Amino acid sequence: MAKLNWICLLCILTILLSGCWSKRELNELAIVVALGIDKIDEDYEITVQIVDPGEISMRQASTQRSPVVSYHSRGETIFEAIRKMTTIAARKPYFAHLQVVVLGEDLAEEGISDALDLIVRDHEFRKDFDVIMSHEATAKEVLNVLTPIEKVPANKLLNSLDVSEKAWGSTIAVNIDELVNTLSNKQKGALISAIEIHGDKKLGVDQTNVQRVKTPVLLQYAGLAVFKGDKYMGLLTESESKSISFLNDKIQSTIEIIACPNKGTLSTEITQSTTKVKGSFKNGKPKIDVHINVEQNVGEVECDIDLTKNKSIDYVNKKTAQGIDERVEKTLEKIQQQYEVDVFGFGDALHRANPKQWKKIKDEWTSIFPDLAVAVHVKVTTQGLGTLQNSLLSKPKEE
Amino acid sequence: MSMYNNAETSPSQNDLLYTSLSKNIKIIQQSLGHSNDIIIREIRIGEAEPHSLAIISIDGLSDKTTISDSVIDKLMANIEEEQDIEITTINQYVRNSYLTVGDVTNIEHFTTLYSAILNGETVILLDGFAEGIVTSTRSAKDRAVTEPSTESVIRGPRESFTETIRTNTALIRRKIKSPNLWIKSRVIGDVTQTDVAVMYINGIASDKIVAEVLARLDRINIDGILESGYIEDFIQDSKNSMFPTVYNSERPDVIAGELLDGKVAILVDGTPFVLVVPALFTSFLQSAEDYYQHWMISSLIRILRFFGISLALVAPSLYVAITTFHQEMLPTPMLISIASQREGVPFPAVVEALIMEIAFEVLREAGLRMPRTIGPAVSIVGTLVIGQAAVDAGVVSAVMVIIVALTAICSFLFPAYGLSNTIRVLRFPLMILAAMFGLFGVMFGIMVIILHLCSIRSFGVPYLSPFAPLVLQDQKDAFVLFPRRKLLTRPRLVNQKNIVRGHNYINVKNRK
Repeated sequence: MAKLNWICLLCILTILLSGCWSKRELNELAIVVALGIDKIDEDYEITVQIVDPGEISMRQASTQRSPVVSYHSRGETIFEAIRKMTTIAARKPYFAHLQVVVLGEDLAEEGISDALDLIVRDHEFRKDFDVIMSHEATAKEVLNVLTPIEKVPANKLLNSLDVSEKAWGSTIAVNIDELVNTLSNKQKGALISAIEIHGDKKLGVDQTNVQRVKTPVLLQYAGLAVFKGDKYMGLLTESESKSISFLNDKIQSTIEIIACPNKGTLSTEITQSTTKVKGSFKNGKPKIDVHINVEQNVGEVECDIDLTKNKSIDYVNKKTAQGIDERVEKTLEKIQQQYEVDVFGFGDALHRANPKQWKKIKDEWTSIFPDLAVAVHVKVTTQGLGTLQNSLLSKPKEE
Repeated sequence: MSMYNNAETSPSQNDLLYTSLSKNIKIIQQSLGHSNDIIIREIRIGEAEPHSLAIISIDGLSDKTTISDSVIDKLMANIEEEQDIEITTINQYVRNSYLTVGDVTNIEHFTTLYSAILNGETVILLDGFAEGIVTSTRSAKDRAVTEPSTESVIRGPRESFTETIRTNTALIRRKIKSPNLWIKSRVIGDVTQTDVAVMYINGIASDKIVAEVLARLDRINIDGILESGYIEDFIQDSKNSMFPTVYNSERPDVIAGELLDGKVAILVDGTPFVLVVPALFTSFLQSAEDYYQHWMISSLIRILRFFGISLALVAPSLYVAITTFHQEMLPTPMLISIASQREGVPFPAVVEALIMEIAFEVLREAGLRMPRTIGPAVSIVGTLVIGQAAVDAGVVSAVMVIIVALTAICSFLFPAYGLSNTIRVLRFPLMILAAMFGLFGVMFGIMVIILHLCSIRSFGVPYLSPFAPLVLQDQKDAFVLFPRRKLLTRPRLVNQKNIVRGHNYINVKNRK
């Protein structure tokens, strides 16, 4: 019995031998918040943005050190470049808290699939970060801009992406999982928000960029980048991007401007928008119906219109619907004719509507899509007028 | 007192008292080593034929006023008036007619004589009789009944047990005025001869448990019992378990409540802590006050306690596990904040945690053992050293201080001190497991603890009941507390026969 106990004890003790395996102390980590991938010739150049925790924390008084550090390294593959980075970085980069991945424009033109493989395959990357593309700049340059208010530029990239998706509609926050799913779907095209740099790119690195009232170098989301397969095709304008959001049911809130009956403008705030895409086949020919249901409030009135009358509200509804409809159709046409890529998932809608028919046309979808009949129906209802009924302009006339 | 007649030791022949008074006195003095606190007062009564007798007591244990007023005074004053006492029956006269003390018994053996006087009684020996008369003169050199110092309540009785077993039994009797409240007494400890009383309500407590308690008490073979902790160690089921399987309290109302639940109380002379068996895990997380305030509030507080016990057990190990193995589990801003505090800390997180936890335990122990006047000094040093200076010097991180403080506060949340000690000790192996295997290790440790808890019993009752095994109807007084009108039945596994609390709840009985 005593012998058995000893053997048990020895077995338990062997467990201790492997102790602390894969342990990492917090101060041995370089927390990467943003990763940039560029392609230079045949090599990948990667940029990591690493947080200096001491500079971020509230406790210590700010020194002159930058809150983030960026490291660059080149390699034949991304994995090689990341490991090579240990030769210059103080600590081993830790990717679990990655917030955003910036893909360089050059890389995007050549195709992004290969570059994303490591990110999706490696277990240290959590799949909850967003992917954006740099426009008219390299990812390296984007990650080398210091941003005011948000000390960590990656946070700024993420926040404005989120906020503008929610309140304006010209960007879409694309999660890595969504992107990979879209890329693996041959019938569907991907969309990624693109960011561009305003101001002298070289100055963004400097601490002075965050010390002034007016920031010299700014990062701004330009619109959505359209991908065919895994290759970048072109950038949509802001209003086109908004229309895409309408079609993709991504609008949470945005602004519409309409013309008043007698000169002047009126803006409405869209508070809710639901889009239903319905596919159908007629004599084997696919057809798409898009129903956009919009609820809005009157936001700003800069003309003489009597909003207390039902007629005026009807007018506002009609005009808004018209505006949305026009722009959406125009965008649709551009996507269908110019890019020839289904970024809306119309194929999925047809698949859902009639799987058998869809199977027949599935392989020729890319050639069918440009000529696909799409009917857009917009319905707008106005809910409220705000805290004011009629415009300030209309009052003096009544007196 | 009846106790002395029942003296279980079969007295040998030379244990019997002699007829000669002087011989008896000589033997007594020899046996007690001529100790100077033994008072042997020899007096003569009767004038015609003076008859000598001795009054034997121990100074300090017996009540001097009673001895002089009710014994010596009576004997000396009255005997003279009645000249015609028959010498042969003088002991009966003394016993029946003169002693004005309540409790009088006869003894014939030296051993019973010794235990009588050592208990504070006075023994009267008459020359020519091989027997003595024990008169009850115990003095109540007793601490007053004060407020409980370890289990305080806002609302509830303000009394606690004292060191005297008689006071303690009386305190319980005053709460339960039932003829069914029975006391079985034992004298344990070959040398200390400590009185131990087993109290239970006949008809409610399970006979099996009462018999088992008495049997276990009878098996105790030791020279002395100085505190109920001795008894606890002897009678508990799993001697190697760190978890207490015997409950203790210094509150009469708690003990009365437990007796009404059908449990058995063990009172030990010389300590205010009364033991209760069988003890369940949940008892240690219940305070007397739970029953005195609104049930919803009590329920919330109980949930808070369960939360507190978990936190006290795992907070430091979770910190160690997450910050050294699973950084991805933290939200990014929190990770950055913690990382910034750990900048420049020279030790790994586990060493930091161990340093802080041990430092806290040291301070706690020091605060307890220190003379009360120095106590505040210790706490000042503690706050300064542990809190401020250690962080400023960069030896430990501020988060660690928060974790230690949280753990400490949570470990003070237990109404019963016994469990809190266990939890505090178990923290350390969990921390080491966390340092080696991360959350995997912590979960492993917790599973071992839970399996252990499932395996132990207290006097035949599963320790984790009513959770494991699950007794649905007892959930009313476990994790939460139901309103009083729903608490109609006694705990199922403690009570088998008399489970219904009131006489007008016949429906419940039939439902079974």
